Amino acid sequence: MTHAFLTSTGSFLPGPPVDNSKIEQILGLVDRKPSRLRARILKANGIQTRHYAIDGEQRTTHSAADMGVAAAKHCVDESPVPMKSIGMLSCATTQGDMVVPGFGSMVQAGLGIPGVELLTTHGICSSSVMAIKAAANSLSLGQHTSALVVVSELASRLLKHTRYEAAGGFGAMDFNSEFLRWMLSDGAGAWLIENAPRGRCLRLDWIHSFSHADSFPVCMGIGLPTDPDDVRTWQDFPTYGEAEAAGALLIRQDVRLLEQMVKLGVDGALRLIEAGTLVMRDVDHFLCHYSSHHFRGKIADLLDMCGASIPEDRWFTNLYTRGNTGAASILIMMDEFLRGDRARVGDTVLCMVPESGRFNTAYMHFTLVEN
Amino acid sequence: MANVPLTRPVALTELGQATLRRLMRVWFEFERALATVPIIRRLDLGTFTRQDYQNLLLNLRPQVIEGSRWISRCASSFDREHSDIRSAILRHAHDEHRDYEMLEQDFVATGGEIDRILAQPKNNGSEALHAFLMFRSGEPNPASMLGAMWIIEGLGEKMAVNWAARIEELTGFDAHCTRFLRYHASNDDSHMDKLYALVDRLCTSDAVAAAVVSTAQIVGHLYAWQLQEIDDGR
Repeated sequence: MTHAFLTSTGSFLPGPPVDNSKIEQILGLVDRKPSRLRARILKANGIQTRHYAIDGEQRTTHSAADMGVAAAKHCVDESPVPMKSIGMLSCATTQGDMVVPGFGSMVQAGLGIPGVELLTTHGICSSSVMAIKAAANSLSLGQHTSALVVVSELASRLLKHTRYEAAGGFGAMDFNSEFLRWMLSDGAGAWLIENAPRGRCLRLDWIHSFSHADSFPVCMGIGLPTDPDDVRTWQDFPTYGEAEAAGALLIRQDVRLLEQMVKLGVDGALRLIEAGTLVMRDVDHFLCHYSSHHFRGKIADLLDMCGASIPEDRWFTNLYTRGNTGAASILIMMDEFLRGDRARVGDTVLCMVPESGRFNTAYMHFTLVEN
Repeated sequence: MANVPLTRPVALTELGQATLRRLMRVWFEFERALATVPIIRRLDLGTFTRQDYQNLLLNLRPQVIEGSRWISRCASSFDREHSDIRSAILRHAHDEHRDYEMLEQDFVATGGEIDRILAQPKNNGSEALHAFLMFRSGEPNPASMLGAMWIIEGLGEKMAVNWAARIEELTGFDAHCTRFLRYHASNDDSHMDKLYALVDRLCTSDAVAAAVVSTAQIVGHLYAWQLQEIDDGR
């Protein structure tokens, strides 16, 4: 895949950074009681600050589309490519503002790009990589000369206290339903991908992904009720009110199954090594979207055991200061990485995006080139 | 386990490292296969019952009680050039040769009848697994058995770390009922370290490495079949 070049990046993080002591002031106290799990989960994930697109009264300050549009403008404004000339708009989000139409339609409207080819991918963290791959493929096929990838996440709307109060309140919360409340936050990222290099840019060498939904149950999702014996999904309930009361609209993580993520992430890397696609010692920069500091050491240990380790100083992340913004994380991370001028011409960059939803692991490989 | 000459090497040879990577992939593949076996899926979904646990113990015992047979046969098949390997494997056989008794006691602690578990025959999967392990162990210098140990030892760790606590959580049985599963937690870490050393010691050619990997794959399939039979064989 040598016809795709990442020529510009942008990001948008709503509001001021929120530190750990202020989170509950934004998301609200469930039944006016402070969380019992907050400190423990925050200690494990290592996140110090994050951003929210809701205020202290849980009113939305920026929509998911607003944030996506802001990130896209940040990205395209720094490129000579005119917004109106972009051939493809490839978007992703875990949950947009509307149930339908697709999130990309709302972003297109906000950007005012006429007659663009549109794509919205559906999923969680790895939906961003799906959008990037589709954009790059489209360029490689010669269908367009430029594609804009826009990914936005507004998780905080799912995490406000009223969601939990509607599903049984403080007493009904368990580790799996509360876990993501202290993990996820809001933001958007955008990448401009072109079919030819422009200045100093990243050549996309390849994208590969491996999904394991055939092997495992859902690990992170919205739509299943709290009772494991109830096989209905949210729309099978007579009313949305009943679905919400049954916990079917809560965002939930099966923390026990989550341990699989590390192994599957490493498994994908080993597949690429065995195929000769990936040579770990040649990786100069490793941008890994791990959701929690807890997993960083586990990934490193497992890679080390397989003789496929990447030295500590080659890892880059902004998880600790920008938070875990789901699908948008890898775009926001790359934006900060490139602005920090850390890479030299010829350097390689490996991105890894493991999604725990029903286990999809995605990998992207770039080389910094100068035209 | 002091004074054992084989310990985890700091750096593996190139072939050792490549074999280890392939073995890791076989293990991950095996874990995915296990996750689709009905009884393990119920553990993941949270619908695993007390009866499931009793059935699991009933179906594990026949293979566990035969475990020391293939391990000791494997040890005795290594010649004088491989005496260090022989003694490492013998020690291991000694460590685990009576752990089926713990398993039987666990079954009784769950309210099961001792006569019932003693009378339980091998299921079809256990039969195939045991036959294969006995066959391979009898070959001269059966280096490929490293692949079998990779799966069986890894399982000890997995049972202990992933299964025991989950079973207690879902069934309400306490730690007196899961001692067999938990026993391997404390033990198999050191066993795994010795396996890493064996990878380097035994994987001296591409042919041996390939045999190790294929044996691990076969044992993984047969083990998964053994657990599949808990639902299919009724």
